[in-house]
Amino acid sequence: MRKSIYVLSFIIFSIFSVNIMVYAQDAPEVSEKGKEVYEESCAHCHGVEGRGDGSAAKNLLPQPRDFTGGIYKIRSTAGGELPTDKDLFDIISKGMPGSSMPEWESALSADERWEVVAYIKTFYEGFKENESPPIEISLEGKIPYSEESVEIGKFFYAQFACFECHGNVGRGDGTSAPTLQDEWGFKSWPANLAQSWNFRGGSSTEDIYKRFIGGIAGSAMPMFEDASFGLSVEEAQRYGQLENKVEMTDAEDEEFNSLDEKMGNAYDILDMMTEGLADEEQKQLHAEAMKVFQEKSWHIANYVKSLAPEKRPEPAIGKNALRSQYTVDTLPTIDDAAWETLEASYFPLVGQIVVEPRQFNPTIDSVNVKSFYNDTEVAFLFIWDDRTNNTEEMEDEDLGKTFEDAIAIQFPVKIPEDPTAPKPYFLWGGKKAVYLWQWKASAADTVTELTAKGITKAEVQEVQGDLQAEGKYTDGQYRLWIKRALKTDDKKDLQIEPGEFVPIAFSVWDGANGDVDTKRVISSWYSFVLEPVPSSKRFIYPPLVALLSLGILVGLRGFVQRRNT
Amino acid sequence: MKTKMLVCFALLLACGFGLIVFADDHEEEEMNKLVFSKEAYKPVAVNNGGKISGIVKFEGKVPEKKKIAINKDPKVCDVVEKFDESLVVGEDMALKNTIVYLMDITQGKEFDKDAKVELDQKECRFNPHVQIIPVGTALTVLNNDKATHNVHIFGTKKNRTSINKQQTKNRKRMKLASAKAAEGPVEVKCDIHGWMKAWVAYVPHPYFAVTNEKGEFTLENVPPGEYKLGYWHETCGNNNKEPVVVTIAAGGEVKQDFTLKIKK
Repeated sequence: MRKSIYVLSFIIFSIFSVNIMVYAQDAPEVSEKGKEVYEESCAHCHGVEGRGDGSAAKNLLPQPRDFTGGIYKIRSTAGGELPTDKDLFDIISKGMPGSSMPEWESALSADERWEVVAYIKTFYEGFKENESPPIEISLEGKIPYSEESVEIGKFFYAQFACFECHGNVGRGDGTSAPTLQDEWGFKSWPANLAQSWNFRGGSSTEDIYKRFIGGIAGSAMPMFEDASFGLSVEEAQRYGQLENKVEMTDAEDEEFNSLDEKMGNAYDILDMMTEGLADEEQKQLHAEAMKVFQEKSWHIANYVKSLAPEKRPEPAIGKNALRSQYTVDTLPTIDDAAWETLEASYFPLVGQIVVEPRQFNPTIDSVNVKSFYNDTEVAFLFIWDDRTNNTEEMEDEDLGKTFEDAIAIQFPVKIPEDPTAPKPYFLWGGKKAVYLWQWKASAADTVTELTAKGITKAEVQEVQGDLQAEGKYTDGQYRLWIKRALKTDDKKDLQIEPGEFVPIAFSVWDGANGDVDTKRVISSWYSFVLEPVPSSKRFIYPPLVALLSLGILVGLRGFVQRRNT
Repeated sequence: MKTKMLVCFALLLACGFGLIVFADDHEEEEMNKLVFSKEAYKPVAVNNGGKISGIVKFEGKVPEKKKIAINKDPKVCDVVEKFDESLVVGEDMALKNTIVYLMDITQGKEFDKDAKVELDQKECRFNPHVQIIPVGTALTVLNNDKATHNVHIFGTKKNRTSINKQQTKNRKRMKLASAKAAEGPVEVKCDIHGWMKAWVAYVPHPYFAVTNEKGEFTLENVPPGEYKLGYWHETCGNNNKEPVVVTIAAGGEVKQDFTLKIKK
């Protein structure tokens, strides 16, 4: 009896060990432990069988990865290759910013994360068949960040046609952006390159370079091979210059054709390499051209790096709170250069998930605000990125139903007496009412004043005050300028005093993302203040104190000297 | 007692295996759009082969032709009107773009080595819409547009992760690495021009045909014998579960027509 059990366990063991052999990289052998951790921590989203169909998957976009397809977006490997074990480990450890994948570094030990890597690989047969490790992208020849490199990168960003999806200045607003889908048929937006903190695979120059060379598998982001292969950086720029000329002289025409031929030859060699037919000389030429391609790619990575701040800006609280700046002059209009002198305050936004219909997959990251005031008026500039400019409700067979883009800026009707006193409910008030400025993309020069006592209980104010507004959409960004008197006669309006902290909150709608009514992105309460005019007393008191201190010191010195003698 | 226990275990194990095998088969059927023989194909000289031909027709109400709205690069892409190609029905209900093939052939003629395996991108449309590619042959993608495309060939669970390569307007030809195993058809898409769609199937033997405007197909030089004849169409599905059995005599000719409906 006991013997038969041994035999049986041996049989079972051998079956399993054959099934779960994976190529040896960094991950340990598959263990029961990996399965356990996976089922406890990962299966809710990724499913017990790794199909990406866990109980929480339904509302998520991007959808949780289906591990049975072997398609992994974030890799350090070439296009069409599987990820390395380290890639999987890093994603588990650091999570995917801008998606629902959290970091597990703080919840799971490194050993546990490695066990999960080994277990995840069992879901896809390709890992077993692949005896040799995947081809990794070489990071050799990195070009350090410099203004010059950024400038060259900007040219190649255009020549490699990155703008088709990512837009002219990288806000993810390219003309192909609205129709992009992933391989599973879900809507997928190109990254807003100005918001690097949302890059799924990290925002270092190396990360950007790897995404560019290897592509993002399963998404519309392709792997790149060069848009001017065989041409040096200078030749490629010259080619681009000539290409855009309406009329070329004979000499220019000849120059263009010779560059075109050089490029054509290089592409032929690239094809020969793909088929494994290249001879030694061709291999040599290919290697040289690849070096130049990598150079171009590093320039592009540097350019993309230049588009976003180093870190996600700090939210507008404490020292970063929105402080309206006093000016004696008339307030600047929307395109006035004076706005450039102010630092914007950053208000992060999240999907509204309290009231149905909810927004689980927000596309608007934040709104940035600047403000000036003078003795009678206050002006605001609200700036937010939106990949599409939707000015009306539309039904499209490919895009589905889209709505109008909009923003609402929310204040309490009455400013709480002190900062700790309760404010109205943050979702458009409750018992305590809120006062709102609502702007819609279809009427760019109109702001409507509302009073609300709940997210579905907003009313247009009967008396519309003297608000001025101007909205503009350029390159994936809205800028909305609003000006109002500090004091109004309407009791339902907010009255603003310098030095007083005024609660402020936002609702933003991205019509292309299905935002309408309660489906929107929101902020909780923040505050802004009209920065008090610096008093002239500051020129009197400090010198006075300094003089006084000096006097005392001198007196003290005299006293000590006298005593000593 | 010992033996009884052993027998029980053995039975349990057998059941387990049976289940696994069954599940695998079931899954494979769902996944595969075409049926490929498990046995490796062996090219041999074929003497006095036969011919299978026929016409594929559509049955049912023909949906109205859907014109594609061009929202990108109109100067290049909106030169001629384009229509959705997921169901192209011609005169006499002829159904274009149906793959007709032999499911279970294991030896026969060689691939035509001179045949061009090219996918053209012209005026922002893929041509042909459905194409068969011999396993081991590189597909050449042409760009005849002054526009940038990206060639995105979707992955299949079995053999391959997806391929997605940029082909800028400067690159007129681009070879894609050949497939190692038979599979597909898989979808081909240009994400930059979202309406551009096509299908490619990587096939292990040359007895595959794609129907033309008249719905016609021909499989030539088939060694005499009995074969399962299959079809696949993007919108009408396949006959993997009930293939037609045809018998070819030496030098003989068999006619086999199909009538397809929209897959439910």
